[in-house]
Amino acid sequence: MRDIRSWAPFAAVLLAATLAACGGGGDGDQTPRVAYSKMVSFGDSLSDVGSYRVGAIAQLGGGEYSINGSAGVNWTELLAASAHVTAPCAAQTGLQSTIPSIPAVAVVNHAGCYGYGQGGSRVTNPIGVANAALPAPQLGQLTDPVKNQILRHLATSGGTFAADDLVTVLAGGNDVFVNLAAIQQGLTPTDAVTAMATAGGELGAYVKSMIVANGAKHVVVVNLPDVSQTPFAYSLDLQTQGLINTMVVQFNTQLAAGVAGTPEVLLVDAYTQGRDQNARPASYALTNVTTPACDLTKTALPTSLVCTASTLVATDVTGYEFADTVHPTPFGYSLLARFVAENMIKNGWL
Amino acid sequence: MKLSLIGAAMLVAVLTGGTAHAQSAGSWSVSIGANNIAPKVKSGDLSAPSLPGTKIDVKGASAGFATFTYMLTDNVALQTFLGGPYKHDIVGAGAIDGVGKIGEVQQVSPTVVAQYRFLDPKSALRPYVGLGVTYAYFFKEQGSGTLTALTNPGGTPTRIDADNAWGLSPQLGVVYAFNDRWYADLSVIKTYIKNTTHLSTGQSIDAKLDPLSVGLTVGYRF
Repeated sequence: MRDIRSWAPFAAVLLAATLAACGGGGDGDQTPRVAYSKMVSFGDSLSDVGSYRVGAIAQLGGGEYSINGSAGVNWTELLAASAHVTAPCAAQTGLQSTIPSIPAVAVVNHAGCYGYGQGGSRVTNPIGVANAALPAPQLGQLTDPVKNQILRHLATSGGTFAADDLVTVLAGGNDVFVNLAAIQQGLTPTDAVTAMATAGGELGAYVKSMIVANGAKHVVVVNLPDVSQTPFAYSLDLQTQGLINTMVVQFNTQLAAGVAGTPEVLLVDAYTQGRDQNARPASYALTNVTTPACDLTKTALPTSLVCTASTLVATDVTGYEFADTVHPTPFGYSLLARFVAENMIKNGWL
Repeated sequence: MKLSLIGAAMLVAVLTGGTAHAQSAGSWSVSIGANNIAPKVKSGDLSAPSLPGTKIDVKGASAGFATFTYMLTDNVALQTFLGGPYKHDIVGAGAIDGVGKIGEVQQVSPTVVAQYRFLDPKSALRPYVGLGVTYAYFFKEQGSGTLTALTNPGGTPTRIDADNAWGLSPQLGVVYAFNDRWYADLSVIKTYIKNTTHLSTGQSIDAKLDPLSVGLTVGYRF
């Protein structure tokens, strides 16, 4: 060290470096790449934002097929928030209960609400799960099929979709349940698989001929998650689980074929994603992918439709994938929403 | 004629370098220029919950910078350089390759290097090797709608916080003296550095950043 003054500039520089480095972070640009005007969603319980949040169901704190709480929980609501559009509301509410303890509630259509998904809905057949037309007692789910849901929207929207609509479609699960049950009444497994393939093809056709053909530019079609990897399926024998898987695969194959080559459609492979979550749960912070978070002996009905924080199997159900035997927890829905969002982002849609 | 004489004089000055004073022990010099920092990222996986194999890449950035050099001996120099702020885009990689920008971060990375300069102090061209220490300070981290959608859809925007880190920085360079006072300095530095970035969701991701920095400055010896 020749001269202390020689070192002074070094000290000054280091001091300046330290002082220059200040300033906090921020949210960054949260704006989606596409400016959507609204979300229009079609489907079943997985997209139902409260079709049956009426009467006794509402009094029980229920309304969605998950762990009901204060915030919107299903994937369509999470995706709507990500897309910066108004939270979807149920386009139609009501309950045609034939259960004596649960009064029926009149069916009402809600203008300005575009959440068409209804618990129990099938693709084409209007008699879905727990429909009032089935032998009593039934909860009386409205189960308007996806085909009719689209028709109802067209009827109130001048026969068209807006180019800046974000349209979502997810259905097929109830076709699995109904066709599987029909095997008990004599339907052959082969015919059950064929029925699923038909339903998948029909759904693809509706997307193309009724949604895209009428002006929609951003249609997110989520294929059917593997129903054979649910608590519902785990209660059945391995052969039936295999049959369920085949039904789902056939449905998805025909759905994919139906929407192939349509740039207005983004097909999201929730089937493969769900299987990956099942195979590598820890990566997704899942700790239970086999049993429901809701204690279905505590709930007034054996479904997550009326499950709340007070009817859980444990105080802490963090990491549970399933709320009941087939429906996701809010966290399970969040994982689906992330995957859908990731696909949309890669496609320049979010 | 006068012009050509001046030109010839300048050429001579450039080609012959400085006098005995150039780059000799005890001399100070300051240079300014521009520097490009290109990270060569080896990303770990974003912690759960995430798509397995969710990784990041960090894009390069350029900024002005300055060097301060002190010749301890005729051949050993101490050099400090300070530049920036460098603004880097953070983009998705691995399982989320294709989602594009997920955030950005600014950094300054002051570095102190001990150099050995070859050849005689009077030489116009002096290659050198150096070994230094870098402190990377990250700030003004910004998230994005993409990051929020991938980590907390429907929730509050996800923020990021990159840990500051120390790194080791080997250097290769060359100084070219135009004359006794003025010189150009070309420096290539590889910095071995890794850090952890934390998300407000509680997730984190480790990454080796290992940037290659190429800087060109013009300096003046006092």
